Amino acid sequence: MAGLADITLIEAADMVATGKATSLDLLRACWANLDAVNPHVNAVIWQEREQAETAAKAADEAVRSKQRLGPLHGVPMAHKDMYYQAGKLSTCGSALRKDFRPAVTATVIERLSAAGAYTFAGLNMAEFAQNPTGHNKTFGNCHNPWNLPYVTGGSSSGSGASVAARFNFMALGSDTGGSIRLPASACGVTGLKPTQTRVSRYGVMPLSFSHDNVGPLARTARDCARVLTVIAGHDPLDPTSAREPVPRYESAMDGDLRGVRIGVPINVFLDGADEPVVAAIEAALLVLTGRGATVTRLELPLMDAVAAYGGIVSRVEAAPIHAEWMRSDPQAYGAHISARMYPGYAIPAAYYVQALSRRGPVLKAFAAEVFSKVDVLVTPTIRTCLPTLEETDIDHGPPGTEHKFMALSANTRPFNYLGLPAISVPCGFDPNGCPIGLQIAGRPFGEGRILQVAGAYQADTRWHWQRPPILAAAA
Amino acid sequence: MDAFETSVEATIARWFAIEPPNAAGKRLAAELAATISAFEALRGSLVFEDEPSSFEAALQATKEGA
Repeated sequence: MAGLADITLIEAADMVATGKATSLDLLRACWANLDAVNPHVNAVIWQEREQAETAAKAADEAVRSKQRLGPLHGVPMAHKDMYYQAGKLSTCGSALRKDFRPAVTATVIERLSAAGAYTFAGLNMAEFAQNPTGHNKTFGNCHNPWNLPYVTGGSSSGSGASVAARFNFMALGSDTGGSIRLPASACGVTGLKPTQTRVSRYGVMPLSFSHDNVGPLARTARDCARVLTVIAGHDPLDPTSAREPVPRYESAMDGDLRGVRIGVPINVFLDGADEPVVAAIEAALLVLTGRGATVTRLELPLMDAVAAYGGIVSRVEAAPIHAEWMRSDPQAYGAHISARMYPGYAIPAAYYVQALSRRGPVLKAFAAEVFSKVDVLVTPTIRTCLPTLEETDIDHGPPGTEHKFMALSANTRPFNYLGLPAISVPCGFDPNGCPIGLQIAGRPFGEGRILQVAGAYQADTRWHWQRPPILAAAA
Repeated sequence: MDAFETSVEATIARWFAIEPPNAAGKRLAAELAATISAFEALRGSLVFEDEPSSFEAALQATKEGA
């Protein structure tokens, strides 16, 4: 039965602010689901219940004493375990950092705290944010709440699973090649990767400084809009963060898509797609046209360049970060992590520089051709029905397993090289009962536009309200 | 092991003192041949007047409402 933990982030904040529920009520509702379901899904890897209870009581006292409240006041949260909080555990999903306690706090955590939220747990993730599945050798694999043998998507595996299983109203993820959108798709929640440079990365574990992004996974696009308004904007501690003004993203979500031009790529993004996925996307397009949008099928330019250049940037940038451990303790990594990092050491610097120096020109040429015709692009987030953890287990599987593993992120990686914002919203289920995701991508700093489209879609659909059956079974 | 794999592993060992961590690592290193082919295929096919240029400037030039 649905309960207090089933509401949206915005409803949770509103209920606390209006006194209809206390922050402690919210926290205990999340814990009830966590206690029942986490033993099965393994989304949470550490908790701080005493501190969280203290924070909840302080939030409730602030309401009672009529203090000025932030837009996320009293909302309990848990994040991918790579957002540093000074003095607190931040494992980055790895045995190599199992006792790591950073000296600084991430700017995004500071901003969420300033908005009234607090953290109660650390979430499972791929080791060093480096797989698209949810495998983790140190903390155990994260399991899909909809069907436990299936992948959660990664690398923000615990973020997707915890929001789906109602442990959490919102979780931060990070996205270097799809790591927010993939678990959002696989777990049936909404996940937003902002424009490159939109959100500060100070105090966040680095993987690839050219492709890393910070963003939310939550129940709805409107929840993501609320969070993005809080965390976006220039940060002096992260000189790469953009000085672009931050709008109130919720204000443009009026549900009206008249005049919005949707592009559906006819190349790359549907290659080898499974029929249930294609059918779900076509059904979603009907919903969007019902709201007034028009649909154009088009061939996307420069996809070979995007794949070739984008394919080496993350590998090269991860290599120096991990070189010392790859020399001294390579077996501390899962085999799939060290195996994927290893070739990065042999890619010539000239290739890497070419990939980076052409990123701007490629984006400009892509945008000139595509965004003169359409406003947003719509694709499946994942082209295929979800595979199982066993089918994608490089560490123990036969040669060739790595190809099934890498295929998961084929539709998300291009938008990291291009730096474009993209969101994944639930749009159906595959024959195994696992969610299917609809990816909506837009122009740089066009988060308002893709949130508008996603919000309109969710106004007419119920996929994002579906509950994993395990919640009822475990109650 | 073919000459390409041998040279990749030797390069990594010489420049970084890192050995292949496992069999999957060896297989993926061998697949760098596909990366080379992808770059080869692009040679001469792309001409940009403003190359190289700032990615951040491109984000601004192509942004929503620009």
